[in-house]
Amino acid sequence: MHDGVAAYVLGVLDEEEHEAFERHLDTCERCQAELLELAELPDQLDELKNASSTSDDDPPMSMSR
Amino acid sequence: MCPVLGHLDGRFESADAEAEHRIAVLYQEFGGPLLRHVRKSTGNDLQWAEDVVQETLVRAWRNSARLQWEPSLIWAWLLTVARRIVIDGRRRKSVRPQEVEPPEVDMMAVPDGSDRALSAMVVADALRSLSAEHREVIEQTYLRDRTISEAAEILGIPPGTVKSRLYYGIRALRELLRDKGVAG
Ligand SMILES: [Zn+2]
Repeated sequence: MHDGVAAYVLGVLDEEEHEAFERHLDTCERCQAELLELAELPDQLDELKNASSTSDDDPPMSMSR
Repeated sequence: MCPVLGHLDGRFESADAEAEHRIAVLYQEFGGPLLRHVRKSTGNDLQWAEDVVQETLVRAWRNSARLQWEPSLIWAWLLTVARRIVIDGRRRKSVRPQEVEPPEVDMMAVPDGSDRALSAMVVADALRSLSAEHREVIEQTYLRDRTISEAAEILGIPPGTVKSRLYYGIRALRELLRDKGVAG
């Protein structure tokens, strides 16, 4: 269950799982601490998303070139 | 004591009035910072950002037990709530084929030039130094607005595996970015 925290922070869980994880979060101090640690990470990934959104529809992390 | 938690009993004539007051207090506490934050992910679409903030704070009010957490944790939670709402909105928009994005939105998505580009580069570098398995799940989920189960289908691995790889990949990414002085 604890490893859902990354998917939760990124918002990529399905609705049901997202809600289940939130209930877990209510009582799990370990996940609360990890939520705090990871809270800014999606913003940093957004830098990448935004930067790549200007160049047509290249995959964000295209390794080719 | 955080005003959100203040004892308000008896001060209001109706439950509606009390709810309204509590949402107003939430706005006062978190509205401004949340709006600044959300605007970055709505491509500076202010109307959309305001809707997202509104919905986030209403959800916060509905889950008021969480408002007894310490403020930094409340903030982290509100960010995840808002992010979900933005992602849902973006997914809804992208399934509507008619919708044409105004051309200037793309330009505005990178507002402050070199700082932002540098930061994107640092993040890209960090991603590149992850193991292929870790990088792959981050790319196939968050970076493409896909859920765990959608990514699992595409990658041909069980959702549980995607979830746990994502966990270790995100932890590793966080460590790399912390070493580079990007993350707190
Ligand atoms: Zn946990």
